[in-house]
Amino acid sequence: MSREHLGERLSALIDGELGPADHESALIHLAKCESCRFEADMMRRLKRRLHGLGEPEPDLDFMGRLVGLSRGDGPGGPDRGPSEPPSGGAGFGSRPPLGSSRPLGGFPDPGPTPPPAPLLTEETVVPPERRTRRRGERFSHLFPTLPGGRYAVAGVAVATALLGGAFVAGGETGDAPVVEPRLSDFAVEHAVTSRVIPVVDTPPSQAHSGPGPDLPTR
Amino acid sequence: MNAGGPSAHPVPAAVAAVVLLCLLLTGGAHPCADAVPGDGPDDGMAVLRRSAAGDVAYTAIREMTGEAGHGTPPTRVVDRPGDGVALIPMTGGADPFVVADSPFKELDERLLATLERVYTVTEAGVGEVDGRPAHTVEAVRANGTVAGRFWVDVDTGVLVGGSVYGRDGRDVLGFRLTDLEPGDRHWPEEVTEDSPWGDVLTPGEREALRADGWVLPENLAWNLSLIDARATVHAGHKVVHAVYSDGLSQVSVFSQRGKLDEDAPNGVRGGSTGTGTGGTGVTPQHETIFGGDGGRYHGMWQADGFVYTVLADAPTDLTASAVTALPGPDDSGFWSRVHRGMSRLGLL
Repeated sequence: MSREHLGERLSALIDGELGPADHESALIHLAKCESCRFEADMMRRLKRRLHGLGEPEPDLDFMGRLVGLSRGDGPGGPDRGPSEPPSGGAGFGSRPPLGSSRPLGGFPDPGPTPPPAPLLTEETVVPPERRTRRRGERFSHLFPTLPGGRYAVAGVAVATALLGGAFVAGGETGDAPVVEPRLSDFAVEHAVTSRVIPVVDTPPSQAHSGPGPDLPTR
Repeated sequence: MNAGGPSAHPVPAAVAAVVLLCLLLTGGAHPCADAVPGDGPDDGMAVLRRSAAGDVAYTAIREMTGEAGHGTPPTRVVDRPGDGVALIPMTGGADPFVVADSPFKELDERLLATLERVYTVTEAGVGEVDGRPAHTVEAVRANGTVAGRFWVDVDTGVLVGGSVYGRDGRDVLGFRLTDLEPGDRHWPEEVTEDSPWGDVLTPGEREALRADGWVLPENLAWNLSLIDARATVHAGHKVVHAVYSDGLSQVSVFSQRGKLDEDAPNGVRGGSTGTGTGGTGVTPQHETIFGGDGGRYHGMWQADGFVYTVLADAPTDLTASAVTALPGPDDSGFWSRVHRGMSRLGLL
């Protein structure tokens, strides 16, 4: 596997559809194969964009200072241990280390805990109920569960872009001059060519003099 | 092969499918069965061409007929070959109106050619107009209904009458010449001639305009052909006048690049309505801008960066064909805007 690229299994890995053994071997391959790692990163970014969940990553420096506070005289107070989480939520240390993101493809289904991959040595196991709320999976119920669901998502995105572009392009053209059709002149011209010549209330020479709604009557 | 399967009797199934297809193709009449050129001997064209080529000076009283001509006062008509046609109002204070003759020789031939192409033009015997014998020529649609009639004076060859009929048989528009007499003694010498706009657009110029975004089709409908296109300049902006005809009626389409002024009044005397920006003041279906059920029609709207003004002396269905063939009034609705955008992007 290490000599062969992941191919189709890469997208399955991104979608968390691989079994535990395949998932582990895929991660090992990713650790060794820069090409697949790059492709996986691109697919993961694309998936995040499609799901509209391009959340900004926390500023590492800021988070580092927060960690420092939580280990010292932070909001938890000096009585609280450095690893003791504050009340009402998970504290620092219970989450993955700062600067790291979840592993590519999420986590395998429950089973034997895989040995830490070279790139994921500090990753912690996330309970299954939290995994369902992970980024990119939060709105998965909105999309079809068919095997080609991601293609449907891409199709929706393309259609949306097409409609949006057409809507913008269909706006009023700003460079069009304001004109006022000279109906009197048009009526005379029409009468001359059709020779259904009108009986005009004003001489045609006057009708040419300016715009106006004076349509002659026969 | 499984004898009990559905393919055990393939021939009856195929026959049934073919029969069903034939029924679908032939079982019902096409809703526009007469929307095809009339097929016939066109033996009436010779009478009309002789009349068009005539060089008899005459004076007559013209009365408009049909529902569109109802209530219009009579007019004295003086035809002086080589100079033109003068119309002299017989009531009120309106001034005489003279149309130069020279631009129309070619136009007449195009009109006659279009008439011959669209309808079956037959000679229907000799009738009578104002007590004078007149050849009756009928323009017949493909479904056998009469679309128009002409009366040509037997003695002088002058076209002394014409009528245009709607599909329901109503006399929409027509004229009669009475008190026909030879000579041009009523010719208004003091009146200068009016001529169509002088800038006749050649086929190459029309093609260049189309490439520049102007809507100037050679046919607005199967029976409405472009017979003349001219241009002029109003306030520094080009205005194109395209004349479409079926040989009986004429539809003038004036187009100019731009948009209508939001502050300008929308109402136009006579019942028609121009549009405001975004197509307000008129429905996209065009019905509300008809001046009436037939006869003179005028409408004005803006679409895709152009302002269109249509004037027509034609039955309603013919005018509707012309108007609906042009870009519709701008609509500010979402899907209309998307459709317009796709058109501009070249996706439609």
